[in-house]
Order: sequence, then C-alpha cells, then structure tokens
Amino acid sequence: MSTDAVGTQETPLYPPTGEPIGEIARRTKVGLWTLIVMSVSGTLALVVSYSYLWALNVNGGWAPPGASLTSSQTNSTLPSKSDATFAPEWPFWAIFGLTVLATIAMWFGYKQLVKGHRDGMLLGGGVSLIITVAALVAQWIQITTFPFGASNGAYASAVLLLCAENIFNLLILVFLHIGLLNRTRKGLISPLVYYQTKLVSYWMVWICVSVLLGALLTTFLLDSPNTEPSIFGTFKLPS
Amino acid sequence: MSATATAFGAQVPQPVQHGKPGGIMRRLNFGTGLIGGLGLAAIAAVVTNAFIPSGAASSVNYAPIAPQLVYLAALLGWVIGFMAGMGAFIGPIRWLMGRDLTHADAEYMAGKDLGKARYWKFTTDHKVVGIQYLIMVMIILGFGGLLAMLIRTELGVTWAEVFTPSFYNSIIGTHGIAMIIGMIIVVMGPIANFIMPIMIGARDMAFPRLNALSLWLLAAAVPCLISSLFLGGIQDGWSVYQPLASQGPPGMLGYQMTIIVFAISTGVASVNVMTTILTMRAKGMTWSRTPILVFGVFAAALMGLYAFPFYQYSQILALSDRIFSTSFFKPLEGGSVWLYENLFWLLGHPEVYVILIPSTALMLELLPVFYRKPLFSFNFAVAGIVGVVALSGLVWAHHMYMTGWAPAVNYPFMLSTEMISIPVGFLVLVVLGTMWRGVVWTRLPIMAVYAVIFNKMIGGVTGIYLSDVPADQYFHGSMFVVAHFHFMLMGVGLFGAMGGIAFYFPKMTGRMLNERSGSIGLWTAFVGFQITFMSMFVAGLQGQPRRVLQFDDLFNISNWISTIGAYIIGVGMLIFLGAIISSWKYGDIAPSNPWGSKSLEWQTPTPVPLDNFAVLPVVTERPYNYGVPDPYEKEMREHDGDLMTKVGAK
Repeated sequence: MSTDAVGTQETPLYPPTGEPIGEIARRTKVGLWTLIVMSVSGTLALVVSYSYLWALNVNGGWAPPGASLTSSQTNSTLPSKSDATFAPEWPFWAIFGLTVLATIAMWFGYKQLVKGHRDGMLLGGGVSLIITVAALVAQWIQITTFPFGASNGAYASAVLLLCAENIFNLLILVFLHIGLLNRTRKGLISPLVYYQTKLVSYWMVWICVSVLLGALLTTFLLDSPNTEPSIFGTFKLPS
Repeated sequence: MSATATAFGAQVPQPVQHGKPGGIMRRLNFGTGLIGGLGLAAIAAVVTNAFIPSGAASSVNYAPIAPQLVYLAALLGWVIGFMAGMGAFIGPIRWLMGRDLTHADAEYMAGKDLGKARYWKFTTDHKVVGIQYLIMVMIILGFGGLLAMLIRTELGVTWAEVFTPSFYNSIIGTHGIAMIIGMIIVVMGPIANFIMPIMIGARDMAFPRLNALSLWLLAAAVPCLISSLFLGGIQDGWSVYQPLASQGPPGMLGYQMTIIVFAISTGVASVNVMTTILTMRAKGMTWSRTPILVFGVFAAALMGLYAFPFYQYSQILALSDRIFSTSFFKPLEGGSVWLYENLFWLLGHPEVYVILIPSTALMLELLPVFYRKPLFSFNFAVAGIVGVVALSGLVWAHHMYMTGWAPAVNYPFMLSTEMISIPVGFLVLVVLGTMWRGVVWTRLPIMAVYAVIFNKMIGGVTGIYLSDVPADQYFHGSMFVVAHFHFMLMGVGLFGAMGGIAFYFPKMTGRMLNERSGSIGLWTAFVGFQITFMSMFVAGLQGQPRRVLQFDDLFNISNWISTIGAYIIGVGMLIFLGAIISSWKYGDIAPSNPWGSKSLEWQTPTPVPLDNFAVLPVVTERPYNYGVPDPYEKEMREHDGDLMTKVGAK
C-alpha cells in the first residue's frame, strides 16, 4: 500500500471513519482513474463525432459556407447563411498552452507541498488558478467570436461542442482550485495530508490531453477528404 | 482539530463540529427535495418564458422553440432543485469551505438512530441505499409493466383502436426506456449496493456520498421521463433514432434529460462499485477467493463506465441539434444519422451485458449454495465474464446491418457477435457442471435459476439467428426481434433478479420471503412469459413488423395469445410483489444464515449492523467449498490425536 502521508512517525487518520489517510488516498486514486476512464469515453464520443462527420462530409455540408474550398466541395444545396469560414487555429493552441501552464503550476505547488512548503503550494495553486481562469475566459471569448454560428454546418457544430466541453472541464478545475487553496490555507491540506492536491494534478494532466485532442482535430482535420460526398436529393429550407 | 472521537477502537482527531452532527442535512429530506425541485422548475419555466420570443422556431423540426426551451428549463430546474433540496450539493460546498465531516457527522449521514426517516434522506449507508434502490426498481418496473399491459391491450383488441397511434407510439417508447433503466439497476442497485460490500468484507462503499448521489440522481431522472408523456411522449422507440427524434414532439426533451442524468448516476455508481471492489476486499480475499457475483458486478460497472458516456453524448448532441440548431444529425447541413446510431449502439449493446452479466453471476452464486457443491470451474466462469466484457464493445453494429451503414463491416460484426457465444457458453457450462449429479435443495431462489436457464437457452439461440446477416434481413424489425430481446432482458435479467431478491430477502429485510406465494408468482409469471413471447416469435416468423399499431388479420391469433400471456405475467408479478410486501411486514423472522451459505454476507448478524462487521474478517478459503474436506481438518485431528495420546500417556 502506498501512503501519501509522510514526514511523521504517526499515520494521520481520516476523521469520519478512523482509517489511515493513506488508505483513503489509495481508494480515491483508484476512483480518480475510473473517473478518468469515464471522461475519456465522453471525450472520445466527441472526437468520433468530429472525425466521422469530417470524413463523410455528408451532402457537402462539413465546412462552413464560405470556407475556402475546392469547387467540388462546395455545397450547392446548402443555403449560405453567412460568409462563415473555419475558425482560426491559434486560439485552440493558446488555450491548450494555458491549460498546460496551469497544470505545471499545480504540479509545482504539489511538489512544494510534498517537500513541506505549504506556501509553495499556495503560490503554485494560486498561479494555477489564475491561469485556469485565463484559459476559461479565453475559451469563452473564442466560443463567442467564432466566424460561424451553430447552424453553419457539421464543422461548426463539432467545434462548438468541443469548446463547450472545455468550458465545462475548466469550470470544474476552477472549483477544485478554490477548494484546494482554501483547504491548504486552513491547514487541511498539508505536507502530511496532500493526496487531494496530487489527484487534482493527475486530473489536470488528463484535461490537458483532452484540450490537446480538440486542438489537434481543429488544426489537422479541416478540409474533408471526401471530395465527392453523397448528395441526398435537393432540399430547401422554408423561407 | 479540536477533539477526538472513537472510531472502531481508535482515537481519531476530529475537525471542529459546527452545530449538531449532520448540520443542515438534518433539515433536508425528500420533502425539501420535492419543494426545491418543483419550485426551481416553476421559476426556471416562468423566467425562460418571459425572455424567449414566442415566435422563434427550431431549425430541426420547425416547431416553435419557446415551449421547448421552457420545458427544458423546467427539467433542468427540477433536477438541480431536487438535488439541492435533498442536500446533494452540501458535500462539495463543505469541501470547498474546508468544513470536513466529523465521525458524528458521518454517522448521522449514514442514518444512525434515524429509524425509517433515513430512507427519505440523502443517507450514505450502503444498506439504506440498497433498500432505496429496491423500492425505486419496483416503482420503475411497475410503471414500465403497466405500460406493457397497455401495449398488449392495444395489440390484443384487434377489432378496435384503443389508443391513438401517437399515444401508442409514446407508450412504446416510454415502456422501452423505463424497462431498460429498471433492468440495468435491478441487480446493480439493490443487490450490488446492499450485498456486495458485505460480501467482500467491507464496512461501506468506497465513496458513500457518491452512492447516495447515484440513487437520488436516478430519482430525479424518473419524473423527467414521466413528464415526457404529457408533452407528446417518445414517439420512436427507446432507441429514438434520428431524424425521427428531431422531428418528434417536445416530449423528446424529457427522454434526453432522463438519459443525461441517468448516465451520470450510472457513471458515479460504476466508479464507486469498481473502487470498492478493487480496494476494499477483506484481507485474504484474493481474486480466486472473491465470489463470482462480485466479478459480475465489477464487469457490469466496467461496461457501464466506458459505454454510458457514448449514450449520454448521443443525447447531448441530439439535444443540441434541437435547441441550439447544431447539425450533428442533420444530413442537410453535413450531419449524419449513422453517427447517432453508432454512438447509441456503442452503449446499446454493452448495455445488454450490463443487464445479463450480473443476473448470470447471481445464478452462479446461488447454484453452489443450493446444490451444496463447489462452483464448477470457477476459472472458466471468470474467463466467461472477461470474454463477454472484452467482446461487448465490438458487436454494436449488428444492430445496423439493415441501415445501410458500411455493409462491408457486416460480416466482421457478424463474426464478433457470434464469437460472444463462446464466453457465454463457458458460463452455461459452469452452470451445468455445477448442477451435474448434485442433490438440489429446492427452494424459491433455485426455481428462478431454472427459469433463467430455460429463458437463456431460447433467447441465446434466437440471438444467433439475428446475429446472422442473411437471416437478419428477414427477421429485422419484426416481432421476432422483440420476442428475442424480451427473452434475454426480461427472461434472464428479471427472472434472475427475482431469484436474487428471493435469496437475499432475509438479509435485506430480516424476514423470510413467503415461499408459497413467491413460487406461485414466479411460475405464473414464467408461464405467462412463455405464452406471450413464444407466440410473438410466431408472429415475427409470419412477418409482423414491430412498433406497428394496426396489422393484418393474419397476425390476430398470435396477438390474442400474446395479450392473454401478458395479463398472466401481470398477475404473476402482482403475486410476487404481494409476497414481497406481505413478507416484509409479516414474514417469519429470518435467521442470520438461512441458506447455510459460506460467503461473508451471511456471516453477519441480521439485521446487519451499521458497520457490517465488529471486526473486519479475514478470508482463508474459496467461497464455494461446500463438501470439500477442510485442508486443516486432518492436521487438526492429528494434532488432537497427539494431544490425546499425550494425555493418555500421562
């Protein structure tokens, strides 16, 4: 059994049940891994959706109308609602970069805590919180300034949902950060009892991977490879 | 840390106790949940109605968007308000504020000294959650069963139209999803929660608050489903295929919200179950000494963990198409209905095994007890479960043979589907091997096992036809399919669960289930089941399509017989339910181990104490060593003989 409680001869006990904190830490770690499996599955559903629609280009409706396409990819049946184009790629990477920086700051805080420096944790956690909020704000700005609307084709839909997932994940991270900082300030997270910090750090690594997947998709899967998509008859939207 | 408390003999430093143990949770219960849910739903609906222009239309079905948004806001308000009123958010808020639970808080939360009130609260004790799940399951299955009676009434009264086609469609869809939810939790809820922790020698689940959360999320989801009936219902079956679902009435939002919330409930339950099994087994309980039911429950949790998010996201995307005008499933704008089908069936088929595997494992758990023999080839049983889990994620597209999606992969999927009969065959062989030359102690639980064996045989064999691409071209979309999956889900899942409830009833309630009325109920339901679905096979072979209200006279006789059978099932189920209710109140007081079982859950007193075990047990042998000589017996005899010799010599 690994224990996350070090630096003392006496093993701290978990107040509600009297079990050693190391045991609770081990249990929570396993719980976190299973939670990550569940989250991976959800993210995969979005990745599959994006790449599936990209590959099919049903009715030539993958790209937003107005995106720079070859003539064979232009959807003649889809009415052009706007001059929408693909989203710029750099904001996806900027948000990914911010998430990575926040994760590094949290890991710094965690390592400092293990070494016995509670102030280091407050510093690392605080910086991580600020960067996470910055990522959240950036994500919000991006989602509200896309050059397309929700109804501008399959690409727009898939990108919007990927970004919505990022917002959800970042909001949870903000909650976890505030909790960790407050608990560290109160002494509930300490060099003796630090497993929650460690687990949040693990979770942040997964969130980085999740954001990275989104950035990769939106950078490398733009023009659909299916240049002769199925056209299911002719459609007209009601005026 | 201001004081200490004694927890299992240890002096444990405690955080500051704010007020009485439990804090604000003392004031919260089901009543406040209802008030919170209904109140917030009403507020959300009124506010949304005030801010949404009434003329706005959805781009999917061109229906007015305002009523849909109001309904969605009300559903969200209901779920959030209900959970807040129950106290589900108190834990995270306390964590955020740094107000950790004390031992006294934890005991209050577990329902200590709360009497029957603990069943109406956000109680964390796994035994209370197990009983709450049992009640919930009976309500859901009762509701779904009632709808089944309505369906059969419509199909049986062939000379008249009892319901409008629209209402008929909506009861079909609601029946389907209610039964699927009920069957998923029928073993994983009551038995996995109440029995499994004791079975592995633990004091509770790994995350007690998550346990209560999963239960009350389910309670929040069910009214969403029922509400859909009043807003046009679920018109296109439980699978709610696109684009029909997008074009459906606002009731579809009730379905989507139900699934989104239910998937969270199942997800947190899976996390909890898996962590409990992985980290809290008693000392000495190696994997080879772990009861087979625990493997079954673990497998179901694992499949739920990876598969449910796909289902959840399929509904999130569908909801997004309807409300936010995205284009995931709209071919006109680059979407694909096949995407929906793939996401849906990525859960849809593992979900079948989420239902079947715990019931099958339950059957394997019962056999050694009533045959007084070790489980035949425990390792094969484990291999069978592992094999089913491994293949469960590779068979989903057999539901899509006839949709036109990727015909080239039909045959690989046919192969993977038929391969799954190999691990299932392992499980059947283990059943037969355990029964072989055994002397059975015929009691109600083992009768349910016989029913399951028969039903599984029929369901399994007919499943092979459906997995076969050429045969499926004929059977697809017919009543044959309906009969097949009822044999698997109800015939195996529900009858297995009835056996499990009969078996564990004494431990869960402290009273013996009335064997006579329970058996009459079981066998009546079994006979009715055969009449209903055997006749449905005939209708399917004759070519009757499913989900169709009016059909040719050719199918009249089969449908009359099916309807009579369905009423017989209803009578049988009512008798069984009556046996449960009357035995719970007036049944004989149960001894702690009425079946003479060797597994841990029967070694605790009945009623089970709050902490399950005064001292955590140490496991020294396999759980099914019935009739196996004790390896230490000879040594002990020799030792005693030596002692006697020595005493004699003196």
